[in-house]
Amino acid sequence: MPLYETVMQEKPPVVLDIGTAYTKLGFAAEAYPRKIIPSEVILSSDGKTKALLDYDSNTELYDQFVDFLQMIFFKHLLVIPKERKIVIVENVLGQTIIRETLARVLFRHFEVSSIMFVPLHMAALATLAVPTGIVIDMGYTETTVMPVYSRVQILQAFQDQAYGGRAIHAEIKRQLLEAGVNGKHLTESILEDIKVRTCFVTNFERAKAYRKGQPPAAPPDLEYLINGEEIIVIPGTLRETVFEIMFEENNDRDSLPHLVLRAILSCPVDVRRALIESIFVVGGSAIIMGLLSRLRAEMQYLAEKDEEYKQKLCGDIKFKFHKTIGRENFTAWLGGSLCGGTDLIQTHSLTKEAYVKTDRVPDWINLSDKRATA
Amino acid sequence: MANFMQNSVVSYACTCGLVNPITKLFFCRHCLKLRCGFCVCHEVDSHFCSNCLENIPSSEAKHKKNCCTNCFNCPCCQHTLSARATMVVVPKKTDDSPKEGEGDGVKAVTKKMYYLSCLGCRWTSRDVGIPDQNVATGAWPENECSYQTRFNALLEYYQAVVLQDKQEKQEYLRRKTPKAHKFPSLTDRTGLTVSMIRRQIGWPDKNTQKAKPVNITPSVATDELEDLPADVFTQPINLRNVSNIQQRHGQPSDQPFTVNKLYPQRRILWIKRSLRCRQCEHNVIKPEYHPTSVKYRIQLFANYHVPDVLLVRSEEVLHAGKSGSIILKLTNPTMHDMSIKIKELPTLSEELEMIEEFKLACKIKENTATSAAAESLKSITSSPSLTSTTLSRQTSLIEDPRIVQQKANVKLNNSELNFVLNQRDDSTEFDEDVQTPREEPEFIIWRKSNKVSIRLPFTTDESLKVGDLVKVGFTMEYTYVNTVTNTPTSHTLSARVFIDAGQILGE
Repeated sequence: MPLYETVMQEKPPVVLDIGTAYTKLGFAAEAYPRKIIPSEVILSSDGKTKALLDYDSNTELYDQFVDFLQMIFFKHLLVIPKERKIVIVENVLGQTIIRETLARVLFRHFEVSSIMFVPLHMAALATLAVPTGIVIDMGYTETTVMPVYSRVQILQAFQDQAYGGRAIHAEIKRQLLEAGVNGKHLTESILEDIKVRTCFVTNFERAKAYRKGQPPAAPPDLEYLINGEEIIVIPGTLRETVFEIMFEENNDRDSLPHLVLRAILSCPVDVRRALIESIFVVGGSAIIMGLLSRLRAEMQYLAEKDEEYKQKLCGDIKFKFHKTIGRENFTAWLGGSLCGGTDLIQTHSLTKEAYVKTDRVPDWINLSDKRATA
Repeated sequence: MANFMQNSVVSYACTCGLVNPITKLFFCRHCLKLRCGFCVCHEVDSHFCSNCLENIPSSEAKHKKNCCTNCFNCPCCQHTLSARATMVVVPKKTDDSPKEGEGDGVKAVTKKMYYLSCLGCRWTSRDVGIPDQNVATGAWPENECSYQTRFNALLEYYQAVVLQDKQEKQEYLRRKTPKAHKFPSLTDRTGLTVSMIRRQIGWPDKNTQKAKPVNITPSVATDELEDLPADVFTQPINLRNVSNIQQRHGQPSDQPFTVNKLYPQRRILWIKRSLRCRQCEHNVIKPEYHPTSVKYRIQLFANYHVPDVLLVRSEEVLHAGKSGSIILKLTNPTMHDMSIKIKELPTLSEELEMIEEFKLACKIKENTATSAAAESLKSITSSPSLTSTTLSRQTSLIEDPRIVQQKANVKLNNSELNFVLNQRDDSTEFDEDVQTPREEPEFIIWRKSNKVSIRLPFTTDESLKVGDLVKVGFTMEYTYVNTVTNTPTSHTLSARVFIDAGQILGE
């Protein structure tokens, strides 16, 4: 490529989606992240590996972010963070301390020129080019449901529950311990591997049979080798039923289908049908085989049989789902990449100059920030 | 350097307040301050491949997505792949044979073909059906992203939408701004500026083209979802064929579920870093370009400039509230004599004062820099309105210095120890004549060329319990001769040193 081209070219912004379990990182206007790495940090102080978002004090979090971003910039992306633009995909209801600390690290330690915060659910929906939809993000710690109508998030209808990858891992561990497996082998990475490679979400008929207490013929058991040391047997019922914790029937009515239906019902009447016909499931936990068809079958069943939903959802209800482009675990990142690829990065970013003045990040929840923009 | 790989018992407090062994510290010769990895600015200096050790210019590295063109990693175990050659018998092309007249229509010719193989896990590129190549490097097929066209369409669409939005906003703003003059000016009367009149009427400017909205087919939702295949309930799965999460993440664009879709991954480049002092923006570390060279062009490591303190031994068994002493060996790494003063650590309030002073110094530097820039600008443009901060130096935020977390728990017996550390002179090692013993203070045990051993007596805190670590801390003031300036100038600098002296023993 000619020299002038490289000189003239604007440096592409860096897009980060920092999750509890995995961090997706790459450059704007690229179709997939460069890397997906565990959100773990090797502390420069004592060389121990630690989860990024596990901290006791503010300074500790700050130092962990410094080490983590240092690794991202110099080991994975190989760019100088100074004077670069950053896009961060964030949960709209994420913790303020994490957001503030991240901004402080980026501005103070890495001297970036601007940061653009992109709401996760909106970013995910942007990859579809549809204005309306109900976005279900299934992450590691929680599952969140956010209805979006005409590119506006309906915040009052937001729903979340604490089942995601972590809850599944705990369930696998519980069932394996019950089956008499030595607990010392069951580290988080082994549990994750078992989940990813052997488990699936069963169909509705079989799940109903399980609930009635008449389990159908279980899928074949599996022999699983742990670190080349020991062979454990993974029961077929475990493979089939670990994801049932998301669909459990109980009086709280907080299983995944209920969560989505509740979110839809919390929206104004006029937008409900549009949402029903545009459901979008993203996040790492959504990759699992059979999840979508099960969710659809359960919701269809509830809409037809459950008294409460039957009354409120009238007419011919057909739940329709969107397919992601690329894998579900980086869909939100992809939205951030699209955002960073447009001129929005110039107009909608928080610049260093603005940050110096106030020394804090504007937040949608803060009324004084809204007054300033109006 | 005895503690290069291990945890050091002697550590120095950096200017930013973090505590590090001297091997991890740098010394900025321009600010005359200690710096550590946390408080210098890291920069990417050069890219290279860690396998073939080829230097790759940064523009090319960016173009190649930070990957080496020749080297591959195994998609299964992330080990480096090696190209293997085989001899393959291929039939000679038939169109050559008529020229040679009769003879066999098909003559067998052996040809060298290459495939990639992992020496770690025995994976080969033949496993996934990649055909063997004629050349060893450069011709391996690229793994294309399946939805690239869709992504490009989306990106184009959003760029157009944002552009249109921007133009509409500008248009709106222009109409809203009140006209500067109530009455038409001379230029209007001449009728020269058509565009101006157009603007007054409110028509759009002729030359500005309106951004056309790009159409995009939105994603269509469907209620026909793939059900679970029936055989998942009956057929056993072979774990060997299912990729694990690391293998999936190694190929982020498609993340295959089965191992037969794993393709060789291009090896990611490594970088050489240069470090820059944040305060004066001089380099403290700058490596040489060549990847095989481990030397530096600029290397301001602290142990070339700051006296190195080594713990020789602890003299007495340590008890809480009792006196003890340690023997230290100090080395002068510079070419100039140093006079050293060892005294108590600063108290908390003094430390806070130091931090304030540091901040103030930064601020003053900032201001002088901006005002200097403003001055120079003023002389060029002669318009004071332009001399705002936007044109001059970028506003910079600095990392706040911290209070040192490490606390000493002893009290030094002597308020001050003063002595001289001779310059480093490699030739003295070979001197025949023994140095004439001179009058030494009693705490000096031994002295040879640029090294000196001293005894440091102290009293441990009463509050210490059995098994607690005794931390000896002191401020070491030393004279440093700055050779950066034309005329060498001498400065008195100080470093805060912390030493693990051992545990408190029971009675």
